[in-house]
Amino acid sequence: MLGVLVEKELKSILQSPKFVATFAVSTLLILLSIFIGIQEYETAVAKYETATELVDQHFTEVTSFYQVENKVYRKPSVMQIFVSGVNNDVGSLSRISADRDVKLEQSAYSSDPLFAVFRFIDFTFIVQVVLSLFAILFTYDAINGERESGTLKLALSNAVPRGKYLFAKFIGSWLGLVIPLSIPVLIGLLLVVLFRVPITGTEWMKLGALFGVSLLYFTFFISLGLFVSSMTRRSSVSFLILLVFWINLVLIIPRGASMAAGQLVDVPSVADIEAQKDRYRTDQRQSLNKERSLRWRERFSGMQNLSRAERRAFYNQNRKEWEGEDNDYRTEMDVRVAEYNRQTNEALRNAKLSQERLAFTLSRFSPAAAYQLSAMNLGGTNTSIKTRYEDQMFAFRDNFNAYLSKSQREERAEIRRKAESKGGGRMMMFMGGGGTEAIDASDRPRFVEPEESLSAVLQASIIDFGLLSFFTLATFVGAFFAFVRYDIR
Amino acid sequence: MFKLILEKELREIIGTTKFAITFGVCAILILLAFYVGARNYQVSRADYEASVQENLRQMEGLTDWNQIDHRIFLKPQPLASLVSGVSNDIGRTIEVEMRGELRDQGSRFNEDPIFAVFRFLDLEFVFTIVLSLFAILFGYDAINGEKERGTLRLSFANSIPRDQYILGKLVGSFLALVVPLLVPILIGCLLLPILGVPMGSGEWMRLGMIILAGILYFGVFLTLSVFVSAMTERSSSSFLMLLVVWIFAVLIVPRVSVLIAARTVDVPSIDRVDFEKSRYSRQLFSERMSAFRSWAQDNPIGDDHRAFGEKMNEFNKGQDDIYDEKMNLLTEQLNEQRENKSGVQQRLALSIARISPAASFSLAAADLASTSLGLRATYLEAAKAYQVQYSRFMKSKNAGDNRVVISHRMGADEEEPEPIAPAELPVFDYNAPATSETISAALPDLGLLVLFNIIFFFGAFVAFLRYDVR
Repeated sequence: MLGVLVEKELKSILQSPKFVATFAVSTLLILLSIFIGIQEYETAVAKYETATELVDQHFTEVTSFYQVENKVYRKPSVMQIFVSGVNNDVGSLSRISADRDVKLEQSAYSSDPLFAVFRFIDFTFIVQVVLSLFAILFTYDAINGERESGTLKLALSNAVPRGKYLFAKFIGSWLGLVIPLSIPVLIGLLLVVLFRVPITGTEWMKLGALFGVSLLYFTFFISLGLFVSSMTRRSSVSFLILLVFWINLVLIIPRGASMAAGQLVDVPSVADIEAQKDRYRTDQRQSLNKERSLRWRERFSGMQNLSRAERRAFYNQNRKEWEGEDNDYRTEMDVRVAEYNRQTNEALRNAKLSQERLAFTLSRFSPAAAYQLSAMNLGGTNTSIKTRYEDQMFAFRDNFNAYLSKSQREERAEIRRKAESKGGGRMMMFMGGGGTEAIDASDRPRFVEPEESLSAVLQASIIDFGLLSFFTLATFVGAFFAFVRYDIR
Repeated sequence: MFKLILEKELREIIGTTKFAITFGVCAILILLAFYVGARNYQVSRADYEASVQENLRQMEGLTDWNQIDHRIFLKPQPLASLVSGVSNDIGRTIEVEMRGELRDQGSRFNEDPIFAVFRFLDLEFVFTIVLSLFAILFGYDAINGEKERGTLRLSFANSIPRDQYILGKLVGSFLALVVPLLVPILIGCLLLPILGVPMGSGEWMRLGMIILAGILYFGVFLTLSVFVSAMTERSSSSFLMLLVVWIFAVLIVPRVSVLIAARTVDVPSIDRVDFEKSRYSRQLFSERMSAFRSWAQDNPIGDDHRAFGEKMNEFNKGQDDIYDEKMNLLTEQLNEQRENKSGVQQRLALSIARISPAASFSLAAADLASTSLGLRATYLEAAKAYQVQYSRFMKSKNAGDNRVVISHRMGADEEEPEPIAPAELPVFDYNAPATSETISAALPDLGLLVLFNIIFFFGAFVAFLRYDVR
């Protein structure tokens, strides 16, 4: 019996003109989004490769370690083809230097605001906005439409339990929509393979999870459609109610939630934080300079009565020690400043995190938000992409700076040695560097991208999976009870 | 007769539950957009003021102008909260140096990606997505729905001219939907000054134009719906067609146009440009070093360190000027090349996008709110003008040259230096382009919207004259 009912439902969906139109549109959109995603990914990779090559080239061209300007770029990920998330909003590079904090800057959208005007379409967006609308379009009259056309009375005049009838409706429309839609998705995946996008096993698993959660989200809207349809007498009313639901769930609640969180949780502005950090650094530097000149005054105080030659001898004798001392103070200061920056950043990050948590909690009242969050999480393009990269870059910065100051010390010693052997060229040291040969920085530390393990990603997605399942189940149970008591006349 | 049809249409729309529900939703959304926009403006205004003050405060107590880190900020625009445009995507902070290129940093979405996840709910969004959908919802069965119910045949059993009937339909549905919508919009407008958004006469005018553009856009979808309805036999098929058109116009065409332009016009990446600049800068540096070497040979350090320092500063200043001049020339050249290319890309993208009325409306609204693509250019220009002023000021304070201070090693100079007064710094104030300028920038898009209206209006008119009412 169930088989017959499912078959009937399938036929009625597949043979409707509505199906042809929506199927064509979704196929076009899904393929387009994946195709464009691949193209964009390739452009991003090309950009990334040029940028890192340029950095490498810089290292082979500079003639002094004092001229080194290092930058680290964020590497494009394959997953951004399907979920662009905040990938284009977050800065793409950070400068790595001793006197600057690590900070991602130059987002794709801020370098080329043209792309920000209309933004991109990705697979997630199509599922979230377009396919959910289509799910409603096919289920809004599932029950009350049959009542209006009189077929409900007919069908239930046979010995069909209502529960079974509803279940068949659900299965039938699910199959009728999901199977056709998986065709363009599979073709899209084929495109990914054909374009030789380098995709790892973990990424395939993440993609699998992404499609799983997309299906779950789609299923929710099917069962919501059934629910509302079996709560109302007329299909025009149920359509209107569903449309209002859709607008609220997809467009309003997520936005409203993040804006409400923005109002409720106070986060100091980045400009304030930057000014605080600047202030601390300048203060530290100022006191360092003051102490240094005091020290030098003290060091020279013993030489007041000496002759010029004696003074020189005294200076030369102690110079190394004094300079070493100064250097130690300076390094200490650098450490203090770095520590202060780290603390300030940490405080800011915590404030932001609590804001974010509130925003996401509020927004998860909408399955659309839950879907988007879990998709972004699976795609690695969620808001934590920034902290993930910045943490790694901070660690790299310590490494690189140690390397750089060591090389600079060696270079200075080398220049001094040369200058002393030639005699008289002391002025060279004022401005640093200026040799004619390129430096050898092949042994410099390299930046390694942060990796997210599959298990960590899946674990973070569990809440949203659970929420979506709960929403789906709740609406289906609601539909069941509503239909059992439905007046079929 | 026309009045009668108009009245019937008005009653038919306003009396339905459909109208009550959709009007309720729209009214809430519009009011929400205004309220949140105003609150957002307050927050960003407070942020801006705090940043400006904090910037000056961190300079207090310093004794040398050379030590300052000076930043300027983009002042939030009152209308940006209603039509955010690219205002959240471009950098708001610029670190001002006496020389060299200025770069905007710290876009809102980069600093707070949480807002980038779902983006904002602004007036422009409510119009482009929600109101257009509602226009379709009320227009899709205007003609074929009456036919299905049989009322069309009934109406024409009387002696009603077809042209008057369709005119009454179009005008009636337009009035029935637009006039009620004006109520929440007007209340929202009143909210702005109450919530402390400074609205000058220019802002009011621009806001008025934004609303006008919104109504025109709404009209496009309404006339289009009636048009499609008069072209089709069944209301279910007209709805489906309109939904597909809506998805394309609102979601697809604008995005695809940008991608097509990106494929067609190749703009050199910022990284490439930066690399060229830094390479040239290094080249200039080594030229400078060799100049210095030959100078140092001609001018031995001697005994009088102070006189030597003076001489060297003199030399360095000349070198600075040479460096600045050459570097600026190259920077301008490279930037101009990139800007030209990206200008071509932008024009292409926007011309294609304008096939869709949604894009026309977005662009017009962003122009009027001065949050369009031009915002960044005008901001950077203002910052550049400020840089000249700043540099002059700093020079008057004897700062910014590559001075070599040899004295402290020898423990001279005992006097305690005086702290600087940060308030003396010239004040940066970004002023949005004049109202007339923004309005004239938006005119082509407004014209396009009018054109769409006319085309669909006549389309509906002609289609209905030939419609089979049976």
